[in-house]
Amino acid sequence: MLEVRELEAWYGQAQALWGVDLSVADGEVVCIVGPNGAGKSTLVQSIAGLHRSTRGTIAVDGVDVARVPAHRVGDHGVALVPEGRRVFARMTVHDNLVLGAYRRAVRPGLSAGLDRVHALFPRLGERSSQLAGSLSGGEQQMLAIGRALLAQPRLLLMDEPSLGLAPVVVDEVFDAIRAINADGVSVLLVEQDVERALEVSARGYVLAEGRIVASGSSAELTGSALVRRSVLGL
Amino acid sequence: MTTLQAALSGALVGGMFAVMAAGLSLTWGMLRVINLAHFGLILVGAYLTFELATSWGIDPILTIVLTVPLMFLVGAGLQWAFDRLGVEEFASLLVSFGLLIIVMQTVSNVWSADFQRMDGDVNPYATESVSIGRFVFPAPTLIAFVFAVVIVVAADQVLRRTFAGRALRAFAEDRTVASAFGIDHRRLGMVLAGLSAASAAVAGMLFALGNAVTPSTPFEWIGMVFAVVILGGIGQVGGVLLAGVLVGTLSAVVSATWSPALSPLVLFSAIILALLFRPYGLLTPAARGAR
Amino acid sequence: MMARGLGGFVLAFAALAALAVWREDLGLPIFYLVLASTALFWIAQATSWNVLSGYSGYFSFGQGAFVGVGAYTTAVLGGRHGVDFYLTVPVAAVFSALLALLVGGLAFRLRSFRGEIFALLTLAVPFILAALARVNSEIDGGQGVVVPVAEYPEWLAQFQDFLYLLNLVVAVAAVAAAFAIQHTRFGWALASIRDAEDVAEGLGVATFRYKMLAIAVTGLIGGAAGSLFALQIGFVTVESVFGLTIPLFVIVMSVLGGRAHWLGPVLGAVVIVLIQDRLSASGFEGWNLIVLGAILAVLVVVAPDGLQARLWRRPWQAAVALVAVTGVLAIVDGWGGPLDWFVAGVLAAVAVVLWPGKAPAPAERRPAPSAAVPVPTDVDRGEAAESSGHSGPQLRPNSTIDGEVGEVLVECRDVTRYFGGVRALDGVSLQIRAGELVGLVGPNGSGKTTLVNLLSGALRPTSGSIAVAGRDIVGLAPHRIAHVGVSRTHQIPKPFESMTVRDNVAMAIMFGRSARPLAAAREEAQACLDVVHLRHLADAKPAEINLHERQLLEMARAIATKPKVLLLDEALAGLNPAEIDAAVAVVRRIHATGITIVIVEHLLRVVNQLATRVVVLNQGALLADGDPRTVMNDPDVIRAYLGRHAHARGT
Repeated sequence: MLEVRELEAWYGQAQALWGVDLSVADGEVVCIVGPNGAGKSTLVQSIAGLHRSTRGTIAVDGVDVARVPAHRVGDHGVALVPEGRRVFARMTVHDNLVLGAYRRAVRPGLSAGLDRVHALFPRLGERSSQLAGSLSGGEQQMLAIGRALLAQPRLLLMDEPSLGLAPVVVDEVFDAIRAINADGVSVLLVEQDVERALEVSARGYVLAEGRIVASGSSAELTGSALVRRSVLGL
Repeated sequence: MTTLQAALSGALVGGMFAVMAAGLSLTWGMLRVINLAHFGLILVGAYLTFELATSWGIDPILTIVLTVPLMFLVGAGLQWAFDRLGVEEFASLLVSFGLLIIVMQTVSNVWSADFQRMDGDVNPYATESVSIGRFVFPAPTLIAFVFAVVIVVAADQVLRRTFAGRALRAFAEDRTVASAFGIDHRRLGMVLAGLSAASAAVAGMLFALGNAVTPSTPFEWIGMVFAVVILGGIGQVGGVLLAGVLVGTLSAVVSATWSPALSPLVLFSAIILALLFRPYGLLTPAARGAR
Repeated sequence: MMARGLGGFVLAFAALAALAVWREDLGLPIFYLVLASTALFWIAQATSWNVLSGYSGYFSFGQGAFVGVGAYTTAVLGGRHGVDFYLTVPVAAVFSALLALLVGGLAFRLRSFRGEIFALLTLAVPFILAALARVNSEIDGGQGVVVPVAEYPEWLAQFQDFLYLLNLVVAVAAVAAAFAIQHTRFGWALASIRDAEDVAEGLGVATFRYKMLAIAVTGLIGGAAGSLFALQIGFVTVESVFGLTIPLFVIVMSVLGGRAHWLGPVLGAVVIVLIQDRLSASGFEGWNLIVLGAILAVLVVVAPDGLQARLWRRPWQAAVALVAVTGVLAIVDGWGGPLDWFVAGVLAAVAVVLWPGKAPAPAERRPAPSAAVPVPTDVDRGEAAESSGHSGPQLRPNSTIDGEVGEVLVECRDVTRYFGGVRALDGVSLQIRAGELVGLVGPNGSGKTTLVNLLSGALRPTSGSIAVAGRDIVGLAPHRIAHVGVSRTHQIPKPFESMTVRDNVAMAIMFGRSARPLAAAREEAQACLDVVHLRHLADAKPAEINLHERQLLEMARAIATKPKVLLLDEALAGLNPAEIDAAVAVVRRIHATGITIVIVEHLLRVVNQLATRVVVLNQGALLADGDPRTVMNDPDVIRAYLGRHAHARGT
């Protein structure tokens, strides 16, 4: 599904990623954990096409999308749930979801997609005509996920979905990740809640100071001293 | 009675200012371009209507069939250039100020600096008026108001209900995330700027219908139109109609009860107050804009 | 420098004045003085505009308001009340300055009014004044006002000579004032406001006061020159002063000439007036404004910095072009007259100056004596003391080094801050003692940066109190808080881009806790640059140095205000490991000079190395507070970082 090779990324002169290799197989959930500022978000944004100061290859189903403009990356079956949710606050919940299906190729699936999202997050259906900005943090996260689902992705990039949410809500979000994956969507999950991230995923990578410092099955990584040390930045 | 008549007439005139302001407000809010050249486009629209009606004998209202597509191309081309040259919000104000001056002087060179007005035989609307009850309204202001309602409602519906409209609103809020959902800002921006310029052609026609025009007329519009844009909320097309009616009424009432010379005073004081306390529109809480 | 410069203005004035006094003896046609009068009027106006809008970056469309107030004051006082002309000029200047202060008082009170909002606000002012003048028959009443011809000294041949002399006095005074402003604290303050206003305020620049001063100067000059304008046109109408022509001209002139330098508006005004005059004389009057508009539209995109800066880079080429073109045309003598040849020469020089060329070579980078080799991570006490020992008297280490903590320096009580409905900080109470090095950590969104913003005054707490060195700082302007002794760095470095590295630091010294004149500040800046190992880049511009160096500059500038407490907001973000080690050493050195430090940092490894104490925030509340070892093993802290079950498993 996704094959990232030798990825480097910069902000101006500051290098944020140094030769990152990672892969996500079809139907797999893979997580990336690591301390704040390790470059996790940069990695996800580079894959989504939002950060274009990069070197290396990002192959989606064998096609290199590293030079594809951001608004064309979706054509390759990638959708993003951005860090901090970033729903369109001045638009209604419904409009946010519809916008997810903006690309012509996925517009025919709009109503089926809406049904699916409403089934996944019934609360979004109830608040359909409300402004997204007036939703609670958890509802906004659900909306951000729903919006991405309407783009009919085969690979869903999720950037810190539990950020700033109450534990009960986080449970809901992770249940949703499982449900989405059960439908055959691959997920690349960046998450600061290491324990939960490893629970939901099959494999994981540990990113620290812009490099992959460890990788393995989630079982191997769970409780590993190395993970703990990298995440705490010790 | 006369005050009420003045208020109602003012409200209708406000419709024309709403048409002038709609395009400016949308390109400012959505594309972050403050296009003073918009006033130049309105001016050219007015002169083209005058020229087409006077020389070719076309019905003044129908001239927009020609001017609208032309202006669309001009607006889209201008946006293409702005985008290409990386002209951001503040620079756009200066660049378009330069362009406005060029347009005004060119118009003056072509049509002379004198007042131009369509004669009664080519402009049947100028002398018509409609009485509703005790009130009398000149046809041009009524026509302008109808156009204003149609344009604003249509724009509002497009923004609310179509994919392109939603894309524009999303783009105005968060360009980065919008692009992740397949929104191509270049194309969309050119379409919007084109439509905005097309509305300038309509505004020019509406102005020429009821008024004499000179190359320096845009200076009279700038204050009124910015008042409408700012009071209506930058980028909010519905607010433009509301603010247009408000500003038109206010200015007409002040003119009727005190003095016509005082109306700019009230108007510009309103702009200053709005800029100071509600720079993002009457309907938008200050806190949200400040984000 | 200053005295010599002002002496130059006296000489220039004397030479130019002589042209009018002995014009007939020199055989100079009056036409040249009329043209020169126009140029001088615009020089004064463009310079007036530039003091506010060029130096401080607050772009105004309202220059017509000042001209109008000046012109109407002279017209009404002279024409209706018979007041002597010479008396009306200062009155006009003062009225105009008062108007400027009113506009400034309204606009600068509210912070976010930069750029387009300020521009529109100033656009509205002349319209209001025009309406007032039209309505009030005591002023204008829609009729216009006739200005009586002022009597002029008999040693002048014509009235035009008199006008020229008056314009000369005002223009030279205006340019001299602009020169003086540029070379004093005032000008530095305005430049820092233009480059990064928040940062300037945080370093101790009283931005509101300087902006008010600048707009008052703009009003004063604009009004005085407007007063002469009334005399020149003889009949003042609303249209002649309150339109958009005056702002258009001053903006085009300043943008063309260059806005950061006193000479810019002068060059711009001269070039524009010459072009306008020759176009009109050649029968292309209708092209005047088209050329003007085109200059504005093209220059803003192509050369927003204007002529002046580029002229400094190609002075000889410009001079050669001027002389060659003028000379060739004069020799051929096939077209026009001397003035045409000269203007063609000027245009050739302008073209040469503006011609796109290679970007200026970055300042030569001298090898870094110590920064090239990463500074050892473990700077021992001795080295820290030694490195600060030669860094000047103000950075002498005092007794409060690691571990030895003194009295309470910062006291936060129950500090809460909401954003809309979101609670970013919720009842945080915290004491920081002199000499501590406190690591402030926590997951994303835990409120660290909010706390830093509250301490530096960038934000106000919704409730609670903050005291620094025993003084309540809630509600104080950030520059006052800087003077109390709080200084900060920004996560994304915000240097003053127009100044060299040294001058960035000198700025902070000039306006910091113990204000210094420029020369002394530049001297002392060396010491601050030594602390962060940037001395070798002192003459570079911020754009020429890398991120690591910019972050070090940020620190050097922060310590230059001589703070009691220094807030480092993610000062190491985006650095590679070697750079991080170097930066850690710098933080140690700063701490060793006796400055209390609060460092916000994601890398707990760094915090563990550095901090004498660690404070952990989570979801806006204080989660843990204590020595690094204890805090890092606190199960609550580990849970906040790793997730819900982490504490149960242990290691």
